[in-house]
Amino acid sequence: MIEIRGLWKRFGDLLALEPLNLTIHAGEVVALVGPNGAGKSTALRILAGILTPSGGRATIAGRDAVTEAVAARREVGYLPQKLGVPTTTVVGDLLELVAATRGIPFAQAAAALAVAGFGDRMGAVVAELSGGQRQRLLLACATLGDVRALLLDEPSISLDVDGAEEVRESIRAAVRRGSAVLFASHYLHDVALLADRIVVMVNGRAIATGTPAALAAAAGIPWREGNEAVDPPIERVYRVLVKRGQEHALRGPLHLVQGDAA
Amino acid sequence: MIAALLRFELAAARRTRTVTLFAAGFALASFVVALVGLSAGGAMAVQGFARTSVSLLQLVVWVVPMMALLTGAVAGAECHELEFVVGLPFGRRQLLAAIWAAWTLALGAALVVGLGAAGVVIALLAGAADGVRYLALVCVAWLLLAATLALGLAIGVTARTRARAVGVAIATWFVLVIGVDLAAIGALAILPPRDAGWGLSLLLLADPVDGARVLGLGLFRADAIAGPTGAALQRVLGGWGAWALVGGLVAWTVVPLAVAGRWFARRDL
Repeated sequence: MIEIRGLWKRFGDLLALEPLNLTIHAGEVVALVGPNGAGKSTALRILAGILTPSGGRATIAGRDAVTEAVAARREVGYLPQKLGVPTTTVVGDLLELVAATRGIPFAQAAAALAVAGFGDRMGAVVAELSGGQRQRLLLACATLGDVRALLLDEPSISLDVDGAEEVRESIRAAVRRGSAVLFASHYLHDVALLADRIVVMVNGRAIATGTPAALAAAAGIPWREGNEAVDPPIERVYRVLVKRGQEHALRGPLHLVQGDAA
Repeated sequence: MIAALLRFELAAARRTRTVTLFAAGFALASFVVALVGLSAGGAMAVQGFARTSVSLLQLVVWVVPMMALLTGAVAGAECHELEFVVGLPFGRRQLLAAIWAAWTLALGAALVVGLGAAGVVIALLAGAADGVRYLALVCVAWLLLAATLALGLAIGVTARTRARAVGVAIATWFVLVIGVDLAAIGALAILPPRDAGWGLSLLLLADPVDGARVLGLGLFRADAIAGPTGAALQRVLGGWGAWALVGGLVAWTVVPLAVAGRWFARRDL
C-alpha cells in the first residue's frame, strides 16, 4: 500500500532523512520512533506531499507521492504534528471541506464526527477547542471515509488517558477497514500497543526495522508479549537501540535488524 | 472540490474582523469625502458625481492597495502554516487561487458597501447624473483590489513569515503609491517631452495604482475637472488607452498569482 524506496531529504547542509526503504501493507501498522530530529516527521511530511524529497521514490496505493501528488493524497488521511488549519476555522466548515475532498456526503461525515464527540460543536471555532479536542477533531477528519493510508505525526500528543485510548481505537478501526498506517510517536506505550512493526530512527537514519520481538532480540532484551502495562520492555529496547545508533552515527552504516524492512 | 475550497476560504475570510472593519472604515471615509466634496463643489452642482468621485478615487488608490497588500501578504504567509489543509487532495495553486478569490469577494463586498454608502449620499444631494460612471469607478476599485491582493499574496507566499511579509507589503505600497509618482516627476524633469510621454505611458502599465487612478479619472469628464491635463488624459485614454490600462490591471492580477502559485507549488512547506 505504501512503498518507500531510497527516499531521502536534505535541508541545506543537513541530511534530515537518509535513504529510507519501507513497505507498509494494507491493514498493517508501522511506527516510526526515535529522538527529536531523527527524521520521523520528515518522512511523513514527504509522503503527505508537504515536503519534496531530494531523491528516491514513494508510492501510495500505486500513486507516486511526488509526480501524482494530488491523486496520492486522495488515498491518504494525514494528521500533522502542528494544528495545520487556521484557528478561526469553524468545525463544520472544516468538515464540509474534508467531506468534499473524500467524496462523502456531509451528513455522513457529520455522523462520524458526532461519534468523536463533536456532534454539538459544529459551529465551534477551532480557537475555542482545547489542544486535545483539536487533535481529536483533526484525527476524526483525517480518518473520514475509507482512506487507504493513514499518516499520523504524534497522534496522541496533547491527549489525556481516555483521549489517547480513543485515538488508538480510531487507528484500530482504520486498520480493520484495511488502511495501512504509518505513525510517528514518542509515546512508546502507544507504539507497543499498536505497531506491527517499528522503525527506529536516529539522526535521519533508520537504524532498525522489525517487529517488537525482533527489535527486542536485537537489543538483547527478553520480549514478553502482552505484558506492556506491567513491565514495558519497549522502553528498554528503544533506549538500547537508540544508544547504539548514536554511537555508530560517525562510524558508517548500522542496521541492527535486517531482512524485514520491505 | 474547488467550490468546497472556495466556500471554506470565503467562510474564513468573512469571519475575520478585517472585512467588517474595512467595510465600516471605508464607508465612513467615503461618506465624509462625499460630504466634503459636495460642500466644496456646491451640493446642487451638476457634476456632483464627477467631482466627488475624483475625491473618492484618491481614497480608493490610497486605501485599497494598502488593505489588499497587507491582507494578501498575511494570507500568503499563513499558507505555510496550513499543513493539514495542504495535505488534502487538491493542488497548492488551487488553494492560492481560492484564497485570492475569497478575499477578493469579501473585501470587494466591503468596498461596495463603502462606495455604495457614498453613492447614495451623492445621489440624494446632487442627483443621479453620472451614476453609471460611478458604477464604473466601483469596477476600477475592484480591479485594483484584485491586482494588489494578488501582489500581496505573492509577497506573503515568498516572504514565508508574517512579519517579513507585512514589511515588504508596506514597502511595496510606498513604492506603488508614492515612489512611482516621484520617479515620474523625476523623469519629467530629466527626459525630453517626447521620450517622457512614452515613459509615463509605460509607467501607467508598470504601476497598477497609477493605472487605476488614470482609468478612474478618465471616467469623469477629466477635461472639465482637470483642465488641460485632463484633456491630455482623455486623448491618452481614447481608443485603446483605457483598455490597455484595464489589461494592465488584469495582468497585475494574473502574473503575481501565477508566480505565487508556481513558487508555492514547488517549495517545502
